Amino acid sequence: MSASVSASASSNLPSDSRSSGPLRRLSQLRAYTQQHFSAQPSSSSARVSRRHTLGSRVSWFSPASTGTESAHLSPVGTANSGPCPEPEQPSTFARYSSVFFPSSRGFDIDLRSPTRPPESSSSTPSNDTSGSRTLGTMSRPRGSSQALDARLDLEGSSPSGSGSLHAGALESADPVMSENPSSSSPRPKQKATIRFFSHQDTHQSNRPSLPFIPVSRTLPSDSCVIRVGRYSERDGLPVANPTEPSDAPVGFKSKVVSRKHCEFLYLNGQWHIKDVGSSSGTFLNHMRLSQPNMPSRLYSVKDGDIVQLGIDFRGGEEMIFRCVRIRIECNRSWQQQPNEFNKNTESLIKNLGKGETADYSGCRECSICLGSVLRPYQCLFMAACAHVWHYKCVSRLIHTPDYPMFQCPNCRAYTDLSAEVDDTNDIEEEGDEAKEAASEDKRGSSDASRSGTPSPQPEAEAEAEAGAEPVRDAVQNSFDEHRPGSLPVEAGLAANIENMQLHDTDASDNAVPAPAPTSNPTATPSNGSEVPGWQSLSQSPSTLQTRQPHLRADTPVRSESSDDNPLTPLNDSGPLALDGRAIIP
Amino acid sequence: MGSQKRIAKELAELVESPPQGIVVRLADESNLYAWNVYMDGPADSPYYQGKFLLNLSLPIEYPFKPPTVNFKTKIYHPNVTNDDKGSMCLGMLRADEWKPSSRIHAVLEFARQLLAEPMPDDAIEGRIAEQYKNDRKRYDEVAKEWTRKYAIES
Repeated sequence: MSASVSASASSNLPSDSRSSGPLRRLSQLRAYTQQHFSAQPSSSSARVSRRHTLGSRVSWFSPASTGTESAHLSPVGTANSGPCPEPEQPSTFARYSSVFFPSSRGFDIDLRSPTRPPESSSSTPSNDTSGSRTLGTMSRPRGSSQALDARLDLEGSSPSGSGSLHAGALESADPVMSENPSSSSPRPKQKATIRFFSHQDTHQSNRPSLPFIPVSRTLPSDSCVIRVGRYSERDGLPVANPTEPSDAPVGFKSKVVSRKHCEFLYLNGQWHIKDVGSSSGTFLNHMRLSQPNMPSRLYSVKDGDIVQLGIDFRGGEEMIFRCVRIRIECNRSWQQQPNEFNKNTESLIKNLGKGETADYSGCRECSICLGSVLRPYQCLFMAACAHVWHYKCVSRLIHTPDYPMFQCPNCRAYTDLSAEVDDTNDIEEEGDEAKEAASEDKRGSSDASRSGTPSPQPEAEAEAEAGAEPVRDAVQNSFDEHRPGSLPVEAGLAANIENMQLHDTDASDNAVPAPAPTSNPTATPSNGSEVPGWQSLSQSPSTLQTRQPHLRADTPVRSESSDDNPLTPLNDSGPLALDGRAIIP
Repeated sequence: MGSQKRIAKELAELVESPPQGIVVRLADESNLYAWNVYMDGPADSPYYQGKFLLNLSLPIEYPFKPPTVNFKTKIYHPNVTNDDKGSMCLGMLRADEWKPSSRIHAVLEFARQLLAEPMPDDAIEGRIAEQYKNDRKRYDEVAKEWTRKYAIES
């Protein structure tokens, strides 16, 4: 696992640097998320832990609340750097709506239009269309446009929502950079995603609710509505749980769910629920939304909310009479986008196997055994939220009766471990851009924040400490001129420069046997980092970086000229780093 | 046991840099799973100058199951049972609230925080909670008296 992870992470690594526009904003975001995330996982302060007692649900909410916190800040960041109104940014409006409608959790769409806050004026069209569309879909006969997913079990394979979650975790800097609120302003709209998980209430009653496979929906457009009701054969075979954005209705096989039960709408960056006249009621966090057979107004839902459809009938003895309890997961995009935390995790992966000496500032601790995750020869498990543990430690949380559902013990995010990997093209395209931006970010801030690629010097130290004695000997031999045909110092330095570039770009490039430009027999696994004089060069890498693309392009011979078997990873950076040749652009 | 390593680590950290007003020892050197915690009553609380002994016991499944905390020293507090057990009601220690990433350090700090600020809405001893809310002065008096009686060695 970790091997493949490190491969995919390093393959993301970009090679060139560009201008510094998004960089600034990124670092603003980072400055914030730094505190945010550093506070969260440790949870050691008394104040943090007090939240646990506030209510039974509080910890469910904490991810959401922190999410809006970070959403608070990112618009500020963009506001600083440019006057770009961000009507499409969901979290911005989540905030607005909570500001302007503080007393009630929800609001009616008809009231909303006249009282629209000035900040949202730029979103007027979408707001209006979504409103009218809402009314339209309410009167529209159900199932006319989209067929219902007939086989509920198919809904387990979740669409792009969780897929991009995976991508976001694995290629932390990669996938949706352009959707990052902090990156450049003309960006694709953030797709609204909501996920439904079966929720078993341990407090209220011992009666289980209807079990169902997790359902995920990503809206094709903000004006779409997700209709929820009783599963019906008549709706026919649907496009199964879609990998494409879809507003396909969600059906539950329970008699207490009305055929038209409730709807989920996405308005101004905020998910809402309304009862559409169900007979046995829709409950949001135990509060009934409307009288029987009466539609309700809109209520905003947030991450961690519990929605119950109907009430157990006949004691809920039979499965078909059980109510449905849904745990909502939404507004998690902050977690799926590149952020300080998952970028740190990327950096962690690149430092795998280097032990404690690795130059890596993020959390290196497995929260279960409190040991370092940077140790070699230890299988790791990384959840979609980018938290990492030893597989050995976390395995008993993976292989539970709930499998394939996995709940992160750190942030309580749910993941469907059986979800399809989302490797759609658009993400890759966006990814290229994102990679560049990310690399540039790392370049620019590698000295300051150290969260990106480790800069050469500490890495060199790390390896020196790691005791790469054979390498050192080889290199020193060549430089001490004990061997015939050793390099002139200049040529050696040139080789070092090249090696250093590799270092700078990608940790796993250490594994590349780096032959000197001249055919030096001793240069095979020379790491460059051990060479005297190298450090002084590394002090001024900025000029060298510009050379890097040329160096890379001009030295395709590197692998061929090596005497070693090209398939053998020469790995002095640690047992888990891969031969970097496979990923040289 | 995988848990031993983690417990040993947490214990070492707590012994080395204990939270304010808290001293941690193993109850029995051969058993990592039972700790004695000595907690000073926080200033500005009726428990000030008291020294409270708590037993913290860790389940074998730790950190997947929460530890339990009991006051061995009698204490007059809405969130601590007024019996031999001295069970403490800590939200984060409930089975469905506990996260493996929570630390004993946090538990202890939280327990001490609870001495400074009882949570009458989350109380075990309803009578004391009532008194805490309605007759704070009387509560302070009794708590002080109990502290003097049980928690201050003369």
